[in-house]
Amino acid sequence: MESSLEFSSSLGSVSSLMTRCRTFKVLVIGDSGVGKTCLTHRLSAGEFPMRVEATIGVDFRERLLDIDGERIKLQLWDTAGQERFRKSMVQHYYRNVHAVLFIYDVTCPASFRSLTSWIEECRQNSIGREIPRFLIGNKSDLRNACRTDGQVNQEWAMSFAKAHGMMFFETSAKNPPNAQASARLSDGEVPHQQNEVEDIVVAVGAKLKRQKKPSVTSSPTYSGSFKLPNKKRPEKEVWTCC
Amino acid sequence: MRSDPVDIETLRRAAASKGGLLTDELRRKVWPKLLNVNVYELPHKPGRDVRENHKDYNQVVLDVRRSMKRFPKGMPATERGVLQEQLIDIILEVLKRNPQLHYYQGYHDVAVSLLLVVGERMAIGMLDKLSNYHLRDFMDPTMDSTKHILNYLMPILEQVDAELHDFMIRAEVGTIFALSWLITWFGHVLSEFKHTLRLYDFFLASHPLMPIYLAATIVLHREKEVKQTECDMAMVHHLLSRIPQDLPYELLIGRAQDLFDQYPPSLLAKRAALQSRKSLSISTFKAFQLSTLHQRPDSVLQRLTKAHGSDSSRHGLEAALPHARGQLWGKGNKMVKMAVWGLSATLGAAVIAVAQTAMDWGPEVLLQLF
Repeated sequence: MESSLEFSSSLGSVSSLMTRCRTFKVLVIGDSGVGKTCLTHRLSAGEFPMRVEATIGVDFRERLLDIDGERIKLQLWDTAGQERFRKSMVQHYYRNVHAVLFIYDVTCPASFRSLTSWIEECRQNSIGREIPRFLIGNKSDLRNACRTDGQVNQEWAMSFAKAHGMMFFETSAKNPPNAQASARLSDGEVPHQQNEVEDIVVAVGAKLKRQKKPSVTSSPTYSGSFKLPNKKRPEKEVWTCC
Repeated sequence: MRSDPVDIETLRRAAASKGGLLTDELRRKVWPKLLNVNVYELPHKPGRDVRENHKDYNQVVLDVRRSMKRFPKGMPATERGVLQEQLIDIILEVLKRNPQLHYYQGYHDVAVSLLLVVGERMAIGMLDKLSNYHLRDFMDPTMDSTKHILNYLMPILEQVDAELHDFMIRAEVGTIFALSWLITWFGHVLSEFKHTLRLYDFFLASHPLMPIYLAATIVLHREKEVKQTECDMAMVHHLLSRIPQDLPYELLIGRAQDLFDQYPPSLLAKRAALQSRKSLSISTFKAFQLSTLHQRPDSVLQRLTKAHGSDSSRHGLEAALPHARGQLWGKGNKMVKMAVWGLSATLGAAVIAVAQTAMDWGPEVLLQLF
């Protein structure tokens, strides 16, 4: 800590020292309108934002988590969903990613079908299979038990997730799963998994925490340039938290 | 604006000068002139069929439905709903007329800014013009051309503050923090509409790259904050992405104009080996600017529209020119004289220094020009 303190001079650095813990970059991707921004708000312990606008470009929200006594920070990167953005703009932000959340809308089968393109996108941006991926079906509160068409079949989604080595969740950024609703199932209706947003965050955090230390830290990408000493380095585990 | 041709240079200077065009009434008169849109030949209101089989329908509706923040806070929901429907129609209409252009998220932010000031029909006329000129590069099938425009940002910074430039290069922050500023002309990021309008006055009167110059002034304005941030892509990007809502707009506009004059796009392109030839907005701007110089004043346009419909005889117009100009010149009309001087570009900066701003004149005086 001392060496880092020596070099901090501004308020900005001090505040970042205060929350200096392992930081994981988590990319949130998926089609336009599936609820990435709302989910990102909720995942970072915010409230469901009633009025969000179209996301243009990228930006992140942070979430601090305590997992088995270790405090970690998730940097949740919310991205623009329109195809033209992801093809040229978002690439820059795929670097040093630690986890990817693939979001689709359970009431929009097209957004589910797009997942193969999103997965391919990741592959092209060198996000390997060792990077934890999570498949999240959003807007479960809009599921209509009586209709099956126009909705994404959960079993199908689960097997898709399994085939791609992803953990699966279905949730609603807007309304928490209603325990009573799932109890009122009609005959023959299979109860389906519904997850709290908070559970998703904890699962992501836990998975990342278990990552081997060296892969956690961001690899120095700038060659021969001035680096601030408080940049994370594999051999120095000086960060204890706040 | 009674002069013939319309003294577009004076209007441009008024739009770019301190305070901008000040009132919506004035904007409704001046904005179309800045884009060479004939207010007596405005497009018709789109029919509902504009929504049928439209490839961008879903995306446009999605974006417009989420654009509530762009409407005045006190506006009743029903009124806002009506405007949102108009917004969808005007966007789809312009796209339909221009199948070579592609919708981008943020285009709706430009459209709504226009709609709220000039109404449906004029918004279509203006949006059509902008889409083919100022916004043209953003409407390619891919965003490669948009990236080319963003690439002007770092070279501008390098000219002014090499240390800041180097810091940002080391941080590898990129330019995406300025993407929404550029493609929505800041409409997406400013919470006060009056600030957006002030910037639209400026951009409508300027070169298509002016939003990048303004972006540069904002970064330069915050250079201390930037340099004190951790030299990390995420941190610097995060800082710059969140634009302060209390920026000194008049100051920054003045600075952007200075930067533009000092480091014009052609100079930057050479120094930074930028591929400006790839930009349609840049390459077509000169021709566009020239086309705005030959506009007839509203009184003539109105008369022509009534008498001849949309087919006006060029010979008749040109014959009328010298006489009208002579009359106005003889009366010693200060505005006209300035306009002529401005057009002849002999006095250049001296004229700008001497010219009063819209704020000094007051909107009532400017309106008398019409």
